[in-house]
Amino acid sequence: MARRRFDPSAPIFALFALLLAILVFLPMGWLAVFSVRGPDGAATLTYFAQLVTDDEMVRPLIVTLIVATSVSTLCTLVATPMAWLIARTDMPFARPIRLLVMASFVTPPFLGAVAWEILAAPNSGLINQVYRLAFGLGRSDRLIDIYTVYGLILAIANYTFPYVFILVANGLDRIPSDLEDASSILGASRWRTAARITVPLVLPAIVAGTLIAFLQAMNNFGSPAIIALPAGFHTMTTKIWSMFQYPPQPGMAAAAAVPLLAVTIMLLHLQRAALGRRSYAVVGGKGAQARIIRLGWLRWAALAYCGAVVSAAVIFPYIALILTAFAKTLTITWAPEGFGLGNFEFVFFEFSSTKPALWNTMLLGVMAATAGTAVTLIIAYVTSRQAVPGHRVLGFLATAPIAIPGIVFGVGLFFAYTHPPLVLYGTLTIMFIAFLTTELPIGYQQFQAAFRGIHIELEEASRILGATRLRSLRDIVAPLITTAVVSTWCFIFIAAIRELSAAVLLYTANTKVLSVVIYDLNENGELGAIAVLGLLMLAVTFAVVAVAYRLPRATSIPTSA
Amino acid sequence: MADVELSGLTKRFGALAVVDRVELKVAHGQLVCLLGPSGCGKTTTLRLIAGFLEPDEGTIVVGGRKLSGPGSALPPERRNMSMIFQSYALWPHMTIRENVAYGLTLRRLPADEIQRRVAAILDVTHMSQFADRYPGELSGGQQQRVALARALVVQPETLLLDEPISNLDANLREEMRFEVRRLHDEYKYTTVYVTHDQAEAMTTADLIVVMNRGRIEQTGTPRQIFEEPNTEFVARFLGGTNILRGRRLGGSGPEIVDCGAIKLVCERGRGTGETAPVSIRLHQIELHRSQPPGDGRNVAPAEVRRQVYLGATRDYLVALADGTELRAVTPSDLDIAAGTPIWIRLPPERCRALAS
Amino acid sequence: MKAYRTGLLALALSVAAGAALAAAPAPSPLTPQLIEAAKKEGVVHFYTAVDLQLAEVVAKQFEQKYPGIKVVVERNGSERLFQRIGQEVTANIHNCDVVNTSDAAHFVRWKKDKLLTPYVTPDIADNFAADQRDPEGYYANWRNTLSPIFVNTKLVSEAETPKSFKDLLDPKWAGKLTKAHPGYSGVVMTATFQVSTALGWGYFEQLAKQKPMQLQSATDPPRKVSAGEREVAVDGTEYLAFTLIEKGNPLKIVYPSEGTPMITSPAAVMAKAPHPNAARVFYHYIHTLEAQQMLVDQGGLRSVHKQVKEPSGRVPLSKIKLLPEDAVAVEREAEAIKRRYRQIFGT
Repeated sequence: MARRRFDPSAPIFALFALLLAILVFLPMGWLAVFSVRGPDGAATLTYFAQLVTDDEMVRPLIVTLIVATSVSTLCTLVATPMAWLIARTDMPFARPIRLLVMASFVTPPFLGAVAWEILAAPNSGLINQVYRLAFGLGRSDRLIDIYTVYGLILAIANYTFPYVFILVANGLDRIPSDLEDASSILGASRWRTAARITVPLVLPAIVAGTLIAFLQAMNNFGSPAIIALPAGFHTMTTKIWSMFQYPPQPGMAAAAAVPLLAVTIMLLHLQRAALGRRSYAVVGGKGAQARIIRLGWLRWAALAYCGAVVSAAVIFPYIALILTAFAKTLTITWAPEGFGLGNFEFVFFEFSSTKPALWNTMLLGVMAATAGTAVTLIIAYVTSRQAVPGHRVLGFLATAPIAIPGIVFGVGLFFAYTHPPLVLYGTLTIMFIAFLTTELPIGYQQFQAAFRGIHIELEEASRILGATRLRSLRDIVAPLITTAVVSTWCFIFIAAIRELSAAVLLYTANTKVLSVVIYDLNENGELGAIAVLGLLMLAVTFAVVAVAYRLPRATSIPTSA
Repeated sequence: MADVELSGLTKRFGALAVVDRVELKVAHGQLVCLLGPSGCGKTTTLRLIAGFLEPDEGTIVVGGRKLSGPGSALPPERRNMSMIFQSYALWPHMTIRENVAYGLTLRRLPADEIQRRVAAILDVTHMSQFADRYPGELSGGQQQRVALARALVVQPETLLLDEPISNLDANLREEMRFEVRRLHDEYKYTTVYVTHDQAEAMTTADLIVVMNRGRIEQTGTPRQIFEEPNTEFVARFLGGTNILRGRRLGGSGPEIVDCGAIKLVCERGRGTGETAPVSIRLHQIELHRSQPPGDGRNVAPAEVRRQVYLGATRDYLVALADGTELRAVTPSDLDIAAGTPIWIRLPPERCRALAS
Repeated sequence: MKAYRTGLLALALSVAAGAALAAAPAPSPLTPQLIEAAKKEGVVHFYTAVDLQLAEVVAKQFEQKYPGIKVVVERNGSERLFQRIGQEVTANIHNCDVVNTSDAAHFVRWKKDKLLTPYVTPDIADNFAADQRDPEGYYANWRNTLSPIFVNTKLVSEAETPKSFKDLLDPKWAGKLTKAHPGYSGVVMTATFQVSTALGWGYFEQLAKQKPMQLQSATDPPRKVSAGEREVAVDGTEYLAFTLIEKGNPLKIVYPSEGTPMITSPAAVMAKAPHPNAARVFYHYIHTLEAQQMLVDQGGLRSVHKQVKEPSGRVPLSKIKLLPEDAVAVEREAEAIKRRYRQIFGT
């Protein structure tokens, strides 16, 4: 072959591959090293041995499995019928219900856990107070106790079921109703059609949703930190975190992170298998409007069911936060003089952490969202256009962090950047790296989908008419990708400002973020201040979500058959 | 305008040569169709010409200028070509006018000149009244016309078309075939047209290049390709034909092939090797109720297996004594019931021996 | 009173004996030049374990007195602060100017590790007894608090009110207790040491059977009892309870008959303080009579500043039986105490 011209895409590829490899593998490499390095520096397997023999380690492992299994089962049982009711029936108020499910989706789980503490603490919890009041019961009677394993399961499930809901609802949307009509015409009843055609078609989505819910529950740190510790037990994530308290046990923490990592990778493989075996691109879908099943009087029962779920996840917790934010004393009295703006005054004018934390959070959110959008945009472009050799490697690297639980990644980053040559601990940079890396997969997947919708011929048409590659990017790709850019930015921003599990291991006094401040306040029992900060965080989140939702959907892009 | 010359053009994806030593010369002003089934390498050849791909071997010379060779390919934007894509590739965020004007803007023409030329081409393509719509608001046929307008307005040296009308429904397809030809006759650009539809190639092309497995099977005018296919592939790919196989008997005269139940004198074509396929078009087979008079060459008894009335014609399936089945098309007034023994004649001047 | 004095004195003596005996530096006056230099730095980072709201009051009042110097409060549990400072020092991060935790043992360790700088203010020299400060001037007692028992008066009648730690083992308190964690709180760390010394670890083993609600910060148990989440708190900071009672919460303090743990809470200037001048001005301020009296009046703390007057209505220290303190022992056994506690209580 003749001499090649200098190709600028090669160094770009090398640069990005190197950058991603460092971001992902350096922390994971150190994690591996620490997990097998004894205090004397020699290789050892004692940490892993301790993991399976020491009762202090085995118990959290079992609790974690119980919690994750229960949460995923519960979420699937609750969210699957909800998705079907909203997508395929004439249940009233489907749209508000859908919006409330989205609200649950963007509510930080730790905030939800705090709200549920307020609601369901065994004695002072609002629900138990109302319960006792309503039935004239004594103090020892309670409806619900959040400081238990089932309380934790409930608190996590409330903010995990949307994962199942979204996957199943999307799955239902993709099934052309012709398939169901075909069954009806052959004489099957509505219910029989649902059972024999609809359910099997969405089964992969249900399975995938269940697995994702399992992972979310297993890798959740905020909820158990808030609920399990007062209840007197640990999950794996809180146990790992506790090993960073004095006296630190980094090796043990590293070893304890390995099972989380292994299970996550395994389940993601399973999920891909579940979604991948059957093709969803159902043939010939002219996209006929899904046929709405009439429920008759049952639709009110359906509404009651969906309403109960979103009440538990969103309505009651938000009310609890609002009441607490305005309450003067720690006991919420229902008299009007029991409410005031004291907590707001404290948070905004006295609490010296508010301003720096807010600033850090916004700065990190903006930086992670901007950098994450830019990096994933380029990588997704390169991989979707197969512009450089080895583009698959880039795609893999950008997706890899999805398999790394936040707390595990925090542990890895802690090891990687707390000693020379790269000492980043205590800087905003390390937080930035953590947020950027953990959010890469979100951005990459968004853009991959977006580029799939922009046929490569659109660019080629511009090239052949005389535009350079850069000019085509500017004139053709940029305007078409704008929507995806803004929505990706919003997604990463929201995910970054609520990140707790990596942040809690990496922050220092100067680099506190809102989530960590809320977490610290909780240990201090400052529920009023938490409620105010939590509402602030939710307000920012909803504002950003509103921006993302208001974007015009890209004008219909003709794609080739 | 320029002539296009491909020599030894080869492109591999992995070990597979998708385009394999293609040689082709397109005179300027000519409309050449690359015709073949999907996966035959025709689109890859087009993309090599456009400069979206770089050849592994061989060169592409346009108007005396070498545009592509291994390791050196002029980027597409500097080839002064236009292309119409299978998806039309109209930019959804630009109006029809903006889509069409884009290429002229890139060429930095003065605004009034752009306006004039855009108006003219929209007029020619009957799209003037849609100038301010967005592509999403047009029908498939209208989008197709816009794609044509956008490609033609820049007055390219070479025009490339990649299955431009295969996404349209049947009626529109026919109309657009003639439209493409009409516009070509008007502007006379050197045009390379990729299609898998033989009718499309027949109606539009000056020259048809039949491709198969990365190679050129045959190059010729539509009439040559249809009437004088050199290979079984070409014969089969272009319209209905019967292929009979037999042993070549040799001799200095016309090719004689012994197919067992019938011995065929082929006044056209020439086989290679021991055996040869013989091609005869469906409508060229004669059916007789009784043994036809004459020299008895290329005549054999047969039996009607099935017949279908198609209005203007009848479609027959007949079987020779050894069970070999042939299809024949006759005027519809010849009505022979299934199961009737008949005689068939394959006129020697219609039988074509092919390379094996 | 005597007991805890002995404690700090023993600590001071042991440190003195360990190192070559050096005298404390002469008291440094608060000069206009120092204040000017501090204003140039503009900010002081105060790592403290005192209740957040009280810490912010200290900060506000300091900022009013010295405009131009901002106080950034990093409030966390004592044990968390200890861990955090250790972690930051390992990473060569010097962010903390003035530190205060409720675990005197920390200061023994930090002095050994040369993380502190000797600095004595005139207030410390004149008004803090010799046994309330490091003989070499590395740290001085900033505030004291007790860790008594707290009772919700709405939920527990006078007759039922427990009088001693042992009373809490009565089965009727099962599921009705709460307490903070020695892995987080220096107050509880010290209290756990003192109670286990006085009553033995067996006491905690039995207490664990009562399934107390496990909180982290020592400021939380009085809050949870006030909110009615639990009837009785086994430990927690006395000073916050005063504030809560004054705000009208149904809370009562019980000084257990076995003796109440007393926790000294020293403060010090960091050797590598990023704002050394502001640190010194702040350190001056927090030991002044004004600041100490505020801690007592508004914060409910106990002060050892000689001129501070105890407000009426609080049981004076002299009337409370205290458990003996031994910071050196706490420093030595800290890890063992935490491990043992984890094993008994599960977290």
